[in-house]
Amino acid sequence: MRTILYGVCLAVVLASPAHAQDTREAEWAAEQNRKAVESKPYEPGAAEKWFSTARRELLEQPSGFYPYFASVYSGGGFTLGAGYRQFSGDRTHSDVKGLYSLKGYKLLEASTDSWGHADGRLDLHGRFGWRDATQVAYYGLGIGDSSLESNFRMKQLYVGGDLQMRPFRFGVFGAGVTYEDYTLEDGTGSSPSIEQIFTVDTAPGLGENPKYVHTTLSAGMDWRPAAGYARRGGLYQITYHTFAESDDTYGFDRIDGEIVQHVPILRETWVVSLRGLVQTTLDDDDRVPFFLMPSLGSGSTLRAYPSSRFRDRHSLLLSGEFRWIPNRLGIDMAIFYDAGKVTPRWKDLSLDGLKSDVGVGVRFHTPLATVLRIELAKGSEGFNLVFAGSAAF
Amino acid sequence: MARRRHRLACVLLSVTGVCLLHAASPRGGSVRFYSDDPQRREPETQDASNVQPWDIDLFWDLAENLFGSPGDKTSNVKARNVNTIDEVPDSNWFTNRILAQPLSIEEVVRGPVAGPGPAGTAWSVIGAKQAGFAPGFTMQDAKGETWFVSFDANGLPEAATGAILVANRIFWALGYWQVENHLVRIQPGALVIDDRATVVPPSGTRRAMKYSDLQDVLRRAHRSADGTYRAVAARAVPGRALGGFRYHGTRPDDPNDIVPHEHRRELRALKVFGAWTNLVDMKAGNTLDTLITENGKGVVRHYLQDVGSTFGTGATALREYDEGWEYLFEGDPIWKRLVSMGFYLQPWQTVKYVDNPAIGRFEGAVFDPVDWKPRVPTAAFLRARGDDTFWAARRVMAFGDDLIRAMAAEGKYRDEAAARLLGNVLIERRDAIGRTYLNAVNPVINARLAADGTLTFENAAVIAGVAAEPAGGYVIHWARFDNAAGVATAIGSPTATMDRRTTAPAPLPQTVDAIVKVQIAAVRPVESSWTVPVEVYFRRRGGGWTLVGVERLPQS
Repeated sequence: MRTILYGVCLAVVLASPAHAQDTREAEWAAEQNRKAVESKPYEPGAAEKWFSTARRELLEQPSGFYPYFASVYSGGGFTLGAGYRQFSGDRTHSDVKGLYSLKGYKLLEASTDSWGHADGRLDLHGRFGWRDATQVAYYGLGIGDSSLESNFRMKQLYVGGDLQMRPFRFGVFGAGVTYEDYTLEDGTGSSPSIEQIFTVDTAPGLGENPKYVHTTLSAGMDWRPAAGYARRGGLYQITYHTFAESDDTYGFDRIDGEIVQHVPILRETWVVSLRGLVQTTLDDDDRVPFFLMPSLGSGSTLRAYPSSRFRDRHSLLLSGEFRWIPNRLGIDMAIFYDAGKVTPRWKDLSLDGLKSDVGVGVRFHTPLATVLRIELAKGSEGFNLVFAGSAAF
Repeated sequence: MARRRHRLACVLLSVTGVCLLHAASPRGGSVRFYSDDPQRREPETQDASNVQPWDIDLFWDLAENLFGSPGDKTSNVKARNVNTIDEVPDSNWFTNRILAQPLSIEEVVRGPVAGPGPAGTAWSVIGAKQAGFAPGFTMQDAKGETWFVSFDANGLPEAATGAILVANRIFWALGYWQVENHLVRIQPGALVIDDRATVVPPSGTRRAMKYSDLQDVLRRAHRSADGTYRAVAARAVPGRALGGFRYHGTRPDDPNDIVPHEHRRELRALKVFGAWTNLVDMKAGNTLDTLITENGKGVVRHYLQDVGSTFGTGATALREYDEGWEYLFEGDPIWKRLVSMGFYLQPWQTVKYVDNPAIGRFEGAVFDPVDWKPRVPTAAFLRARGDDTFWAARRVMAFGDDLIRAMAAEGKYRDEAAARLLGNVLIERRDAIGRTYLNAVNPVINARLAADGTLTFENAAVIAGVAAEPAGGYVIHWARFDNAAGVATAIGSPTATMDRRTTAPAPLPQTVDAIVKVQIAAVRPVESSWTVPVEVYFRRRGGGWTLVGVERLPQS
């Protein structure tokens, strides 16, 4: 009997559950009470933590180690690296970084960068580094046959500094001085080493290891939103180079003139981008080492041709792109046409006999920089697939 | 053995008793309408004093919403914070203002302003601006009160500050918790940097603020010809700042935050209000939670803090052309543009704007509220149903032309054409919202049942002038509603009316707390959606009938 009584009592108790509510307020209160028991501070998930860390490393660039993506030297192939950054002022940091490419190209560099001086109008940079490009291609002078492919190894020790000024809204001026010590050795690539095919007549400076004080002065107008990625604006710039050698055997002066113009169409639905680049050695009597001559061929000049495919004392490059913008924050498409030539004499720098290519590409970018550019180009010597981490121009 | 059987019988009896009593008990959880329905204020019963500040990473917030699908995946979920008459109770999220109560133009123009602007002229800069991209800083006035100051971007005079001032009033009138903004003139020479002021430069190491830091800010701001800077000073809100809120999920350490944000109607409704004002920047960073003390316990108040990303300009530049039309990343148009070489054209590529830099790219002629999009998919917007957008559209339509023009004038634009343009576009967009969302569901509102059984109601779309009465009038089904069982029993035959007035076909129950269910549907309307009946429930009390329930769309 007692058991029955317990059972009935239990039934009554269970049938009147504590969570049953008679008012809406009580219903909410019960739910909030339940959450109060379980409440705990927010803990980001693994993905969110990883994302935050990656953003901080890539965008905020704090002191500490960081991955480094850049090129050792044109033609070095896929390259990876790392660096360590240490701020010593609000906008001043020193870096030590290194790169290594698939072709064994190496770079070690210590640098300091200080920007935003003079009300944000002046940036200062200093560099000390060593570069080893183990198999730089050389095909001879001019726009001749590619069957004469060779390669050489170039080591470069450098130390110098430069400054950039923006004294008024679109004005850009720069100046720099760098001591450059070049050492050339036999190439390590699969093609013959340069001295097996070329002589000092066909490869000026072959066998020499010149040392320069390289001075640059530049002036121009730049009204692109960002140099690393732009759909409007332009760059009109001229740069004067002086390569001063102690005995002046291989000293020379060069002027580079560059025009870039982006023409947006229908609210940047399409963009026509144009570029003209002329590099000219000033004095016909100056002797210019073959590896410092103006060159064409690479992912940012004649894109269907390998790096430095064409070299000579003067160069002309014309590029045009028809771009369309599937997504303004991240993706660009382009079909492009490049044409250019290198010549031994200034007067030969005409529009006749240009080497050309056409191609199509996709670019993944941020508002300020091109992160990845993949392009397929076709020229007279075949196809070339370009992977680059910067804008073509 | 017998003893064991006896015990078994007792257990079975107990279990059976539990089941029977459980089924028969009028549990609170099973009734449709509680005695305190409809709720006028959202209960906050717990002490939230232990809530901790959090920092929602901007880029994670963007990425999660762009490439994930955060929040409840269930579709067609009715907003969970509405009361039984389909309204949003007052809360620390929302306060019923326009439409719910008479508001004069003066009240709306005053908005959240509760006192004078910064006191005195000797203002101390106490820190850098902590959120957003607009140039600004934090300062204390002569009385020691803290203000957050933001400027117009260089080259865009009056654009950002004007947008803040106008949108601030709009969103206050709509019901959101807003900061108190004042238009001020900053004279750089009158500013001093407080000893406590710090900044975080690019090096990431916090240090004392210097005058050059202030110059950096002012360099990005628009300087007037007289050397002063037009700015908006926002009074620091009461309570301890806790960081923003997300448009999905709940704050895990706030015990009162039990409704997933994607299921809060006032957040879903921002899809409509955002479309109206072009509030494209719907990130957590533009919101602010604060811990305040209310009725002796800590509760969290939720501010729609930064509504300056409205109309046609942003904090630092004119709107991008596609803002308000496409998400930052949207697969379908990306793919189509990619394969068509850009010839897949969208309205934003050709729509015309009146050239007025203070207002920017803001237009109403081509605007379609359904197609409008913020920068990133917003979980609360994606869950919005027709009853949510209808609720919001009614509030938008409650802004008359005079009120809109008065609010536009609060932008204090020197160029009268700017205020006129802003007013015109807001009116155009308001009307588009009315045409779209008031017609998208059955717009029957304000149903009343008199003691004698006479039913009257109104049609929100007809009142707004965006639709005509249905050709066949309305048909009304009457039923007695069993609150415990949730069962409706028909009362007589359906009645019909052409003038939104009819009488019950048979005597209605007279017992206290009896509930009558009335279904009102349009007959031969232009919009087929009007044929879906609106269900309204009246409870018998005090000799009359009180509205206790409105169901505009079926529950999920």
